[in-house]
Amino acid sequence: MSAPKTIPKDAQVMIQILKDMGITEYEPRVINQMLEFTYRYVTSIIEDAKIYATHAKKSSVDADDIKLAIQCRMDQSFTSPPPRDFLLEVARQKNLTPLPLIKPYTGPRLPPDRYCLTAPNYRLKTVQKKVSSSVGRISVPRLSVGTVSSRPGTPTLGAPSVHSVSTKVGPPVSLTGQRFTVQIPPPSQTAASKTMTPSTPAVSNVLINPSLIGSKNILITTNMVTQNSSDSLKRKHEDEDDYDAL
Amino acid sequence: MAAVQGGPVDAVEEKDIKSEPSNDGCGNNSANDGRPPSTSPGSSASAGSNTSAAGPPEDQQTLLAVLQFLKKNKLTESVDILRREAGLPEDSLDLKVGGDSGAGSGGAPGDGNTGGGDASSLLSRVTTASSAAAPAPTKVVAEDQPDVNVVLSAYSQQGDPKLYPVYYSGLKRFIESVLDCHRAELSQVFYPLFVHMYLELVYNNLESEAKAFFDKFSGDQECYYADDLRVLSSLSKREHMRGNETLLDFRTSKFVLRISRDSYQLLKRHLQERQNNQIWNIIQEHLYIDIFDGMPRSKSQIDAMSGSLAGEGKREANKAKVYYGLLKEPEIELPLDDEDEEAENEEGKPKKKKPKKDNMGSKSKKQDPNAPAQTRIPLPELKDSDKLDKIMYMKEATKRIRLGPDNLPSICFYSFLNAYQGLTAVDFTDDSSLIAGGYADSTVRVWSVTPKKLRRVKSAADLNLIDKESDDVLERIMDEKTSSESKILYGHGGPVYGISFSPDRNYLLSSSEDGTVRLWSLQTFTCLVGYKGHNYPVWDTHFSPHGYYFVSGGHDRVARLWATDHYQPLRIFSGHLADVTCTRFHPNSNYLATGSSDRTIRLWDVLNGNCVRIFTGHKGPIHALAFSPNGKFLASGATDSRVLLWDIGHGLMIGELKGHTDSIYSLRFSRDGEILASGSMDNTVRLWNATKAFDDLETDDFTAATGHVHLQDNSQELLLGTYLSKSTPVIHLHFTRRNLLLAAGAYNP
Repeated sequence: MSAPKTIPKDAQVMIQILKDMGITEYEPRVINQMLEFTYRYVTSIIEDAKIYATHAKKSSVDADDIKLAIQCRMDQSFTSPPPRDFLLEVARQKNLTPLPLIKPYTGPRLPPDRYCLTAPNYRLKTVQKKVSSSVGRISVPRLSVGTVSSRPGTPTLGAPSVHSVSTKVGPPVSLTGQRFTVQIPPPSQTAASKTMTPSTPAVSNVLINPSLIGSKNILITTNMVTQNSSDSLKRKHEDEDDYDAL
Repeated sequence: MAAVQGGPVDAVEEKDIKSEPSNDGCGNNSANDGRPPSTSPGSSASAGSNTSAAGPPEDQQTLLAVLQFLKKNKLTESVDILRREAGLPEDSLDLKVGGDSGAGSGGAPGDGNTGGGDASSLLSRVTTASSAAAPAPTKVVAEDQPDVNVVLSAYSQQGDPKLYPVYYSGLKRFIESVLDCHRAELSQVFYPLFVHMYLELVYNNLESEAKAFFDKFSGDQECYYADDLRVLSSLSKREHMRGNETLLDFRTSKFVLRISRDSYQLLKRHLQERQNNQIWNIIQEHLYIDIFDGMPRSKSQIDAMSGSLAGEGKREANKAKVYYGLLKEPEIELPLDDEDEEAENEEGKPKKKKPKKDNMGSKSKKQDPNAPAQTRIPLPELKDSDKLDKIMYMKEATKRIRLGPDNLPSICFYSFLNAYQGLTAVDFTDDSSLIAGGYADSTVRVWSVTPKKLRRVKSAADLNLIDKESDDVLERIMDEKTSSESKILYGHGGPVYGISFSPDRNYLLSSSEDGTVRLWSLQTFTCLVGYKGHNYPVWDTHFSPHGYYFVSGGHDRVARLWATDHYQPLRIFSGHLADVTCTRFHPNSNYLATGSSDRTIRLWDVLNGNCVRIFTGHKGPIHALAFSPNGKFLASGATDSRVLLWDIGHGLMIGELKGHTDSIYSLRFSRDGEILASGSMDNTVRLWNATKAFDDLETDDFTAATGHVHLQDNSQELLLGTYLSKSTPVIHLHFTRRNLLLAAGAYNP
């Protein structure tokens, strides 16, 4: 910090707070970040408090409104982990069940498909005139445990064979909901392999990166994809309560 | 509530009788909490009035409070008696019955110390301790009758909070006057007492008194509690405590102290004098005094073991049997090229730490008594590829360099450039062919260390076209067009704090601040599964040495055991008071160690989730753990720049390695366990003589009953070498199968 510039009062207060908390080494931009956070937080609290005050038909915001605003914000954004007794109880419950036995020779040991991120998150719209083997080449990658043709131990994603794909593609698939206008380019190996890597935008208009979105989105789209196909057994419906996660 | 109901009735009739001191043996007993809330406090706290109705206003309020309580519990006769004797007017205060009783019954914390029978402390403490049914009602009650709760809490067994400075100074004066040999032990009491008193003051909304108390006495505490005290100083209001789970846990759990019988007698005798009863009650409430017979410990011994947030470990916490031996290696037919003497029985069961060349030691089929049964926990069977791996491993093991004080390993340092301080985790595969780095920008990058490039498996369409029967089908399934030196894996939503390769090199795990642990395939370089369970940052993850299981630990203070094919955890290891920062499996996969920000290390049993060992002694959060290859010892490194060595079987600290000047982030034993390498933020790698550190211990000498540690100050002799890097902190260490040391860090100019 150069001497001639005077630091604004906020920043001076922040520097003092950092010093009081024992933080001695920090980059100068930390102060800016802290101030930004402070400003944003206080603004949101005060705005909330104003809303509560007007709801209670008070003319001005008072301490109770602020307290309520802080409390609501705490429960929403700044949650804290569960308390210890709760955790102990849950742990006790969970630890009573014995460890499950491991089935031998099952290929890649992954959870059921609906809990994996291996499903496609797009569906190809068929172009009527071009229902040729070129379309069939775009395989819909799907991991079905048990139908993997390669040997166990090497998980692969390109499981289904060509014929099952063509049955899907043949009848026009009705797209409900999101529309993906995907022009299937003349098939090349790279395009096919790239459909499996979600991060590349080789296929146009497919905006979703399946590994970034929650699996729920994947469920939505695969639901649409597998309406007509027979091997959609595993993903019949969108499960709200799939994740009874603790 | 039965105990609670019994209590106040006694209170009314026996106001003058002081509470009996707790009996010996284990020091504390929470059964004594059933004593009436207002006996001794009433008699000694304020200006001496007992049952006379026309006492000072505080007593009047107390009587009213007791009256309400009795009314609430429908003890009408007692109510009448009390009213008659105390001469109280007939007007009774209304009480919201439901909220209080609901809160009271639901409020017993898991540790059960305050839940005994002390309704007042239940009521005063339950708003935060139990987040279950009733925070709202109790708050409402508190607003309507602020007197009740405050009064009741004031008349809990802890005496008047305003007099805490007086109590504390009194105790301080006493402890300064005892004999030297006892003083060190009794000084252990200061810190927990200070913290509990401060928290009590804050809890009762006595902000200025709390601040004054803090300013007066915080300077006396030990230096290694400085961080905690700083956190405490920022807590001045009751609302601040709401989000701070660690301190709430601290408040409800008992701080463990280990004191010799003589010192304890001294303390007890002093505190049971009339005017000192307050502290006695507080001590009983919050401290667990583990008494041992023997010599009082010296200051240095105490300092070695203390420092954690929960005091030391109780003796019986460290008494469970731990099977620290290694599992028998499976029998593998070896190709008979140059290992003729290698028979089919390839078993590795080291009992003692003899220097062993290969795993083909004893051919005895007897089970190592310290090793767990093969089927104790289900483990995946060996596939052909695993068997091939094992053969490779044994071949490499024969070419392994024998390390020793006069034969130090060479160190190869992998510096991550252009990471801009964003490199947060690194891991090597066991055969050192791949290196992965986790970054603060949520990416994971995998590099190939060998000249062999990384390739992806072909797409499904192309896989159909290859000839599945050819010999080199494993090569043909790879897509040469995608070969590159490194691959980037995108998917996480926050910085990646933990990385672990699977032993069969098929999978990579990464744990991140977004609360998920992701499983990536190293054949397709895509994400396979996201394991959601921690809803808070996951600080570390580790694959089991046998594959299939992995452990993760995070901000929610628990460690979870997962299997790759279950979307929910199999085991939850709960017990730490603060975040779990480091998780490691034992070589036999039956146990795992977790290091935490509460400065303890716990060893957990995978089979039933129990905590079998608690190791205290570090003075800062633990960031590095390493098991010795023979499974007997554990090394740990923390931000206090020390490496501590622990004997798992006995549950004792056996060594302390001082030398680093900054936090230690990586520890690794060499393949045969002779050398321990430690890497730290001070840009150095230090090599320590592990065989010497472990040889010195004579297990008969250990007074396991008292747990006295006689740590030798031999760090200098054990230090074999210090190797500086140029401004690159060392965050990962790995010994190759031939005992070459690889180190990794991000260049940080």
